[in-house]
Amino acid sequence: MENCAQKKKYLAKDYKSELKPIWCPGCGDYTVLNAITRALAEMALPPEEVAVVSGIGCSSRIPAYTSVYGFHGVHGRALPVATGLKLARPDLTVLVTGGDGDGFSIGGNHFLHACRRNVDLTYIVMDNQVYGMTKGQASPTTAPDWEGSKLTPDGTGINPFQPLVVGLASGANFIARVSASDPVNMAQIIVEAVRHPGFSLVQVLSPCVTFRPEQQEWRDIVRTAVVDYTDDAARAARRLMTDDGFNVGKVLYKGSRPPYRPEFEASNGSIGELEARFAL
Amino acid sequence: MSEGSTQDQPINSLGVLLAHALAMENDAVDRYGELADQMEMHRKKDVAGIFRRLQKAEQKHLDELYELTAEMDLPHIAPWDFKWGGESPEAIAVDRVSYQMSVKGAVLLALHHEKQAYGFYSSVANRTSDGEVRRLARQFADEELQHVAWLEEWRDKCGPDDEKPLDDPDPPLSQE
Repeated sequence: MENCAQKKKYLAKDYKSELKPIWCPGCGDYTVLNAITRALAEMALPPEEVAVVSGIGCSSRIPAYTSVYGFHGVHGRALPVATGLKLARPDLTVLVTGGDGDGFSIGGNHFLHACRRNVDLTYIVMDNQVYGMTKGQASPTTAPDWEGSKLTPDGTGINPFQPLVVGLASGANFIARVSASDPVNMAQIIVEAVRHPGFSLVQVLSPCVTFRPEQQEWRDIVRTAVVDYTDDAARAARRLMTDDGFNVGKVLYKGSRPPYRPEFEASNGSIGELEARFAL
Repeated sequence: MSEGSTQDQPINSLGVLLAHALAMENDAVDRYGELADQMEMHRKKDVAGIFRRLQKAEQKHLDELYELTAEMDLPHIAPWDFKWGGESPEAIAVDRVSYQMSVKGAVLLALHHEKQAYGFYSSVANRTSDGEVRRLARQFADEELQHVAWLEEWRDKCGPDDEKPLDDPDPPLSQE
């Protein structure tokens, strides 16, 4: 540490926009924004070489609060937009941000195939197990017995979606879970996720203090995972089988599958020549 | 913490102390500012005022530090390698606040973190073997003590109304 005399080029605040967040005080999304900007500063990435893409929901407001390129897109469609952007501009560092409803329900199918394609993206999901922006309905990760919504007064009765298990099974190349109560650790994991080639999934336990106030206890429930990451998907799967969802702070899995990077040939030919390649 | 971390070692280099001080004051300015913005956004002017005043006080420290270090080449330290581990001592955790936080609650929270900052600099001064680091760390600790004294004064002036959670005339309701 003390031997490194590298001059820091950016501060976290350099990645924040002038727009003030309108999240509820105490919301975990504030710390995610801070962790992202801290991670970008640590990597010293010029803001014009970074893009943040999101869908819809409280957490999907993040692009507006950053100074990097941003795209606040359609509900559940952040991943396809980000995939297109990364393929067209592989030089950009592309982050995708959103919530559990946006990513695992409305965008659930895109999530599966983004993992499968393994494009070099970092997907940061703020999981609060509720649709907060629409005033508190059960989401795909909500426990079956949660009775806090009048739409599901007896709970959903449905087993919650397991994003890390599904991500692993679908081919995500980097998987981690972090807590919003530890933004410095989160920043470190985000740096690792960005630097790891391929599709990186970072699940953030991010409390919704307004519609799930009991989640404020997560700060005291979470524990630092005991074991370090594995590069063996089967071993990672076995760990997840005994996981209660509160092991945080370390990378679970780092795969070595090469990212999807199609080579586009520069063509000086006519549109007709291009069409001819696809003619039936 | 990265491998080979020296987090449990004393600070014996002026550059390392100043790198820590800059990070802590930057964090404090940012965090108090964020909290003031949040409270203003929710029309909680009294609580916002506390955080804004602290932001300005920390900005003064930060400006002085920038002046002191202008010609120095400080070491780069990753956020997770600072001696304090986790968030810096003066930065209030974002998830500790609420839009209904009372004035006294905000004062007590800030007081806790200012005391942590004082504790950090005091610990550096007590553990270092370098005379200049000790002198500067003690000076920084004394500056933090001024904030502690100011907040203790504010705490003692708080009346019963300052202890009540702030009203919400339009509380959030789950959609039917």
